[in-house]
Amino acid sequence: MNRRIRNLGLTFLLLYTVLFAQLNRVQFVEAETYREHEGNIRPLLREYGQDRGDIVTADGVVVARSVPVPDGEIDFRREYPENERYAHVVGFQSLNQGAFGLERQYNEQLAGTPLDQKFSSIEDVFRDRDTTGTVVLTLRDEVQRAAIEALGTRKGSVVAVDPRTGEVLAMWTYPSFDPNLLAGLDGAAVNDIYKALLAAPDDPLLAKSFREVFFPGSTFKLVTAAAGIDAAGIGPNDPVFPQSNLYQPLPSGSPIRNFGGATCGGDLREALQVSCNTVFAEIGAEWVGPGGMVRTAENFGFNSTPPIDLPDAARSSFPTDYGAFIADLDTYRGDDSDDPAAPSVLRNGATPIHENSAILAQTAIGQNDVKATPLQMALVVAGIANEGLIMAPHVVSEIQAADGSTYETFDPSLWRVATSPRAASVLREAMVNVAQNGTARRLQIDGLEVGGKTGTAQLGTEPPNSHAWIVGFAGPPGGAAEIAVAVIVEAQPGASEQTGGTVAAPIARAVMQAAFAQTPTPAGG
Amino acid sequence: MTATSERRSPVRPHIAALRPRRVELGLIVLIAIVVLAAYGLASLGKSSSVPGNIGPFLAWMLGLFFLSHLSIRRFAPAADPVMLPMALLLNGIGYVMIARLGNDVAGGSDLAGLQSVWTAVGIGCFAITLALVPRVRMLAQYRYLLGIGGIALLALPLLPVGIELNGARIWVSIGPVNFQPGEFAKIALAIFFASYLVDARDLIRNRIELRDLAPIAVAWAASVGVMVLERDLGSSMLVFTMFVVVMWVATERSLFLWLGAGLFMAGGFAAFRLFAHVERRIDGWLDPWADARGGGFQVIQATYSMAEGGLTGTGLGLGEPDRVPLAETDFIFAAIGEELGLAGTTAILMAFLILIGSGLRIALRATRPFEKLLVVGLTTLLGMQAFIIMGGVVRLVPLTGITLPFVSYGGSALVSNYIVLALLIRVSHEQRTVVPSAEGRLG
Repeated sequence: MNRRIRNLGLTFLLLYTVLFAQLNRVQFVEAETYREHEGNIRPLLREYGQDRGDIVTADGVVVARSVPVPDGEIDFRREYPENERYAHVVGFQSLNQGAFGLERQYNEQLAGTPLDQKFSSIEDVFRDRDTTGTVVLTLRDEVQRAAIEALGTRKGSVVAVDPRTGEVLAMWTYPSFDPNLLAGLDGAAVNDIYKALLAAPDDPLLAKSFREVFFPGSTFKLVTAAAGIDAAGIGPNDPVFPQSNLYQPLPSGSPIRNFGGATCGGDLREALQVSCNTVFAEIGAEWVGPGGMVRTAENFGFNSTPPIDLPDAARSSFPTDYGAFIADLDTYRGDDSDDPAAPSVLRNGATPIHENSAILAQTAIGQNDVKATPLQMALVVAGIANEGLIMAPHVVSEIQAADGSTYETFDPSLWRVATSPRAASVLREAMVNVAQNGTARRLQIDGLEVGGKTGTAQLGTEPPNSHAWIVGFAGPPGGAAEIAVAVIVEAQPGASEQTGGTVAAPIARAVMQAAFAQTPTPAGG
Repeated sequence: MTATSERRSPVRPHIAALRPRRVELGLIVLIAIVVLAAYGLASLGKSSSVPGNIGPFLAWMLGLFFLSHLSIRRFAPAADPVMLPMALLLNGIGYVMIARLGNDVAGGSDLAGLQSVWTAVGIGCFAITLALVPRVRMLAQYRYLLGIGGIALLALPLLPVGIELNGARIWVSIGPVNFQPGEFAKIALAIFFASYLVDARDLIRNRIELRDLAPIAVAWAASVGVMVLERDLGSSMLVFTMFVVVMWVATERSLFLWLGAGLFMAGGFAAFRLFAHVERRIDGWLDPWADARGGGFQVIQATYSMAEGGLTGTGLGLGEPDRVPLAETDFIFAAIGEELGLAGTTAILMAFLILIGSGLRIALRATRPFEKLLVVGLTTLLGMQAFIIMGGVVRLVPLTGITLPFVSYGGSALVSNYIVLALLIRVSHEQRTVVPSAEGRLG
């Protein structure tokens, strides 16, 4: 019998070894697969149902919070009291669609899971302390509401930052969406709503303020002007560009005209005031050249992603390839002084001419393949207003512990040295001139020093439509600028330079006024 | 009777008897610490507080542990030192899990409280069995009584006094007490099979005569038949397996193994066709996701639960084992898998392997065939039951409605398993106090 008993023992060993192998399979080898199974709601519910802290604006308005669920599978659900007003910034946390925006970016701090937030002392192992964190935004509700009201139901975006610190004061895109619809518990209903939003015209889920690029139009001339000042030595009053109604690009290409065939010229200040295409086309192609333009554009942040603390920010782009080098300008022109396209005696002879310098003439005025997010354009102005320094944009100012004490602060940091202080100062003054005497007159506010630049990016449609842009800054007279704004109203009828001034400027003005209406109160009381 | 049980090995009797007990005591202390720590951690994890009743819990646990240890010291001092600690470990971890789940029975009393009472009853019966059965041999005298009694116990739920629960009729309610007679019937049947085969095996080994096989065949058919009537297919599978194994070991003829396998297949196939819920169980085993909300739900939740645990588990009190249905009974292994991870489930696996190994070692060293066969039968019951339910939880085999010995909540199962343990310890003590040359003198 003993032999059989031994065999029995071996059989048991075999059976249990197989069991062990299967255990390994379920709990180790395929564990990840099971965890990510569509029907496995455990990680989702755990993620979703925990208590998370509030998200509040700088002036104390709660924009996201967890409310207890009386009974049910989870303990808490997420609520967004301001509905669609902060949706693109705050994002949302859904049961089965994942998390977006700040709800995703700061999920751990909100939930209180980072170790040092959870256990501030050894007692915390034994106590059930509220370790959730409160995220305090830099956005100010009064400024945000002004932007929302002013833009109304027109497709567009508004971005306002503080040039001194990079704090985002307002960021709004119309159309937006109500995150409460996506934070519900009924998975199927949320799925349907999400699909509907994805399919909706005008893409309400997309935060175009920092995630979509548009032709910047004439607002880009600020960058060209800065390049002209820094790289080619152009001054505010000198050189004086000839009055012209077209610019013939080199080496060849269709001429670049001004709006409505107008004739314009003059010094840099005047050219900016009326937004003269021919002048800036020439500056870009014949004064600065490809290298300088690319360098300056990249100094302003083009071809990079702004380091904003929100996921998936878009990169603004400035074309970098202008073909092979042909000759420098003097060599190129030879001594052809009766060439009708040779406009001015005061040219930068050493400017390199490339095969596609004609494209450079277009990109210099914000056409062709230049694309910018509203955030990027706000940062351009912020750099000009802040003596040439672009501070890193951020929407979160600090994270507080549940008891109100500060857990983490986000200090301002430098992102780009966009241009020299001298160029910044020249441009700042020029922009004030544009606001007083030029296309941005509607920007003016009593008692404040306001500067601006309009832009109209033609969309080439028939009848002609264009994006109406304005960028601007405002501050106390003689003091540092405290707000930089970029507004785009998409696809407006008309294609004149005036469009930016009439359509977009009032919105920027309303935002600036709201920013100066009262000083912000500290959040959290 | 008592004289024979006091027989000692002539070589250094004192040490020989005491050494295993010291080992056992050491193991028990270790296990008490582990269970206490687990209990505390589960509470810390669940509610961030040390459990209020940790003092009484400690006293209760230590009391029961030492009671069982002392009864072995008194009644079976030479027995294997490892079996009781393994059983206590399984029981302790099971209790911690049940307490952590914190659920109530329909009547309102909490399951953990009930389980602690049943543990006490179980250990009490353990001690009593050790005291009342000084020699296992004597049980063989009652073989026919036990055989008929076993079947009777099995059939009890079919009478009006029985209750139908979850589609099976295995419970009996007498007065305020509910119990499962089937759990005790299995022991009786094991004793019957072992004792009958001791006498009949010589005959069967040489020539298979139908009349020799008759009583066991009848007993087998009756027990399996009754269980099928009660829809208790898991237990009928268990008893069937035990029978085949004991037959095979006793007669040393592989014929019975194949015969048994064939009958099992045939029976399984018939069950599949006849019983809708068997078909559901098989479908649920092969592809639970095909019916994720219905038949597959339990095993899917168990799979997710164990996957959640990963290698080291979510931590006691920190997981969500209550998502798994029947987490205190059939699926307690999944709950352990979630909170203690692969490490925890492997530990449970090893504890059972050690129990089986010790049991079979006892069987090997037993000198008399009755003891051998009885131990083989009881060990097979324990080992197969654990394998079947653990295998069902991880989808190695289809689910059956049986529980994990010592670990799951359940009074009848706990008490009957402790009785089985007592019998195994009794045989272990017997064969360790046997002087090899004196074999002929033993009655």
